[in-house]
Amino acid sequence: MFHSKKAGAGSTTAMNSLHHNHHHHHERSNMCGVGPAGNNHSTAGSGTIQGDSGLVLTTDPKPRLRWTVELHERFVDAVAQLGGPDKATPKTIMRVMGVKGLTLYHLKSHLQKFRLGKQPHKEFNDHSIKDSERASALELQRNSGASSSGMMGRSMNEMQIEVQRRLHEQLEVQRHLQLRIEAQGKYMQTILEKACQTLAGDQSMAATGYNNNGNKVVGNSGAGIGMNMNMNMNMNMNMSTSSTSHLEQAAVPAGHRGSVMLFPGDHVPSAIKDFGSLNFPSFQDLNLYGTSQSPSPPAVAAAGTATARKSPLMWSDDELHLQDDHQHQQQEHHHIGVLSNNSSEGGGGDGCDLDPTVPNHIFETTPLTLASSHNVDHIHHHHLGLGPLDHSKKLERTSPRRPPLSSNSSMDNMRATLSTNSNSNMSPQGRSSSFG
Amino acid sequence: MAMVVDELPEIDFSDYTTTASTTNSTTTPEDDHCRDWAAWSPMVDWDALSVHPEENFRDLFQYDMDDETDKTVSYSDDDKNLASSEAPVMETPVSGLSDDLKGLRLVHLLMAAAEAISSDNKSHDLVRVILVRLKDLVSHNEGTNMERLTAYFTDALLNLLESSGGGCGGGLHYKQPNHLNHHHRADVLSAFQLLQDMSPYVKFGHFTANQAIIEAVTHERRVHIIDYDIMEGIQWASLMQALISRKDGPPTPHLRITALSRPGSGRKPISTVQETGRRLTAFAASIGQPFSFHQCKLDSDETFKPSSLKLVRGEAIIVNCMLHLPHFSYRSPTSVASFLTGSKSLNPKLVTLVEEEGPKVEGGFVGRFMDILHHYSAVYDSLEAGFPMQGRARVLVERVFLGPRIVGSLARVYNREEGECGSWGDWLGSESGFHPINISFANHCQAKLLLGLFNDGYRAEESASNKLVLGWKSRRLLSASIWAYSEAD
Repeated sequence: MFHSKKAGAGSTTAMNSLHHNHHHHHERSNMCGVGPAGNNHSTAGSGTIQGDSGLVLTTDPKPRLRWTVELHERFVDAVAQLGGPDKATPKTIMRVMGVKGLTLYHLKSHLQKFRLGKQPHKEFNDHSIKDSERASALELQRNSGASSSGMMGRSMNEMQIEVQRRLHEQLEVQRHLQLRIEAQGKYMQTILEKACQTLAGDQSMAATGYNNNGNKVVGNSGAGIGMNMNMNMNMNMNMSTSSTSHLEQAAVPAGHRGSVMLFPGDHVPSAIKDFGSLNFPSFQDLNLYGTSQSPSPPAVAAAGTATARKSPLMWSDDELHLQDDHQHQQQEHHHIGVLSNNSSEGGGGDGCDLDPTVPNHIFETTPLTLASSHNVDHIHHHHLGLGPLDHSKKLERTSPRRPPLSSNSSMDNMRATLSTNSNSNMSPQGRSSSFG
Repeated sequence: MAMVVDELPEIDFSDYTTTASTTNSTTTPEDDHCRDWAAWSPMVDWDALSVHPEENFRDLFQYDMDDETDKTVSYSDDDKNLASSEAPVMETPVSGLSDDLKGLRLVHLLMAAAEAISSDNKSHDLVRVILVRLKDLVSHNEGTNMERLTAYFTDALLNLLESSGGGCGGGLHYKQPNHLNHHHRADVLSAFQLLQDMSPYVKFGHFTANQAIIEAVTHERRVHIIDYDIMEGIQWASLMQALISRKDGPPTPHLRITALSRPGSGRKPISTVQETGRRLTAFAASIGQPFSFHQCKLDSDETFKPSSLKLVRGEAIIVNCMLHLPHFSYRSPTSVASFLTGSKSLNPKLVTLVEEEGPKVEGGFVGRFMDILHHYSAVYDSLEAGFPMQGRARVLVERVFLGPRIVGSLARVYNREEGECGSWGDWLGSESGFHPINISFANHCQAKLLLGLFNDGYRAEESASNKLVLGWKSRRLLSASIWAYSEAD
């Protein structure tokens, strides 16, 4: 479901407040109903306490409720009494169950998982394949005790097969998605080219461009601006008509000038990638090479599509100046150097052991996922041969942390307003209230 | 005069941020603000106050103290509410305030303006004053998200103000926002590309619809798509790609697309329908997709006449209705309704609909105004989260796409009656003959993968069996829904 990556959510606060961060806690709470039912069983590193209410709480720094089989069964009973997971609410469940120490928060997240579990085909785990196999199997198994419909009879084998099937389907989807995005990008290219040609005729574009401050020099026509925006955004565009942009000259690798080749192997020139390069200093940081994450802004794998072989080499200084924040330039410069090593694509993986990482990234939670660039590229190069699913490497690609969104965000202002002004129609909620 | 001067320090706004009693920047400023704002309470008090709303206002604004001091101070003497009580209001020197507080102030001002404009006595003067002040505080191109957003909302409110004078037409034609006409074509193109690359909004709708279409036509040999608003046709590029690479079923089906075109090509700054057709044809040829393109010209009243379409026997008809970004303007509801209703007679196999999550139906104008504000602030935030450095790019996208939509959105909400603001998805659900088609696992999966490409703040969830909703953090933004039609209902 929602795989919130807010690692910092802090379930401690959740425990204390009845509040509705259940998205986060959904992830955080340790829903091991299938774990050993023994009350005094301890998990690695944490002990468990059995309260007299029959609840099992762990003693690790973030106390969590353990959903034992018994507790879960009571839960299921209560839900059934209330007419099913969709009708039941945490409040009513709490009342029906009558278990001391059980809070709404516990129930909320458990109920949500339960609801999800009832529809296993919608479950989508962003873990590695193995993890998600395990997780899916757990889900199925967990609910096998609860569900009144057919799952009781399922054998582990059947479930495993089901899980495998789903995972393969996910891989398929990913592959198709890649192709579709590429197709769209190619089409976009045709639009831009056409536009370029028409605009090129209009006015001279020599006067326009980005100066070193990254300020858009307003040229005599939008044409130049637009073009240059495109230049900057889309380095690999074949805008050979423009003579102004040094970027373009630097950027477009020879092989790509002048033709709209629609081979699947072509990377898709898109601003995404270039933004990717702009933002995300280095693919190094994407942990594709197993290095640890730097705290730079995550590679919205907009770094995504097939940038691998192009780009960052091509970035000139001026381009970098585009960014409003000059601080990043240091990083960029540095990383450009790094990247240059990798941009040779054919180089069957010097330090580019990207190939096997493809499917991992599907299931990892990070935005880097989509076969960030390299992977995609390699998919094509190797004719979509994904190879055996033994991608044990790169499992722990730490997700690049975004700098916490500054409280500037206007959403926060919204919330603040809500909490202050009771005249508004929305119920005041905490910062993570849901508006949807 | 002397007295006046002496009194000023009491209402020294610049102390606002540092005084322990009021703002406390360490702990949640919003909570502290609660107390202060409540004391001041922008909305309620104004109406209750005296005859001259402007007077009220002056007290709240920090004017240059030259001429205004008299009025200001004297007023504050009279009115206990606003005076030297602890709520030294918002207008501290800007530099003294944190962004949060600034943003909050802007929101309050906007709310006040919305209230004023929708209130029964329609105190337009008050609105104007507020808007003027807002304009001073914000700019379209600089500042925080909130500030830029406010700039567009201010424009939108001004637009309402001006148009409401001359009889609102909740009617057929929504006033085309003026901004649109001023965009250079290249700007529009750049913004378009940027929008696509910086956010999943465009792709989400297209891909979800396309996936549903692909699944629906697996065994068809001919597919005919009727596109409500084709723009430059980018949705179909990926569909074609998918069609030519499909494995099961008959080989690549023949694809026909009929695009609705409207008179008044001012609306198509990127390309006309003919150009789009040519481009699509060329693209199809380049990838080997059998293809043909047609146009269906609408009259100025945009009534859809299905009989004017050329149909071929044996083809599967798909009705595609994209109403979200980057489709520029809001289509008038009669146009959309006419299209959807008219499509019934075509007996379509599938109807795909993508629209923005609209404001809540209840709550009056102010409630909906705030909802829209939340909506777009989520959009702004999502763009910033993905591309915090690319301020200029975002500004461009905001200017070309988001701004006009804000204006249009508010106009639509303002002019509509209560209860008319439902979503088209709901409308389809209640129309006879349309029934929902489930979103497949693959579709849902694709959406999640797609969003994963961008930023983990995006969410895709199924809000109904046939509807996928794209949201940012917890705010729903777009929904894509799939329907089928059968007469026997």
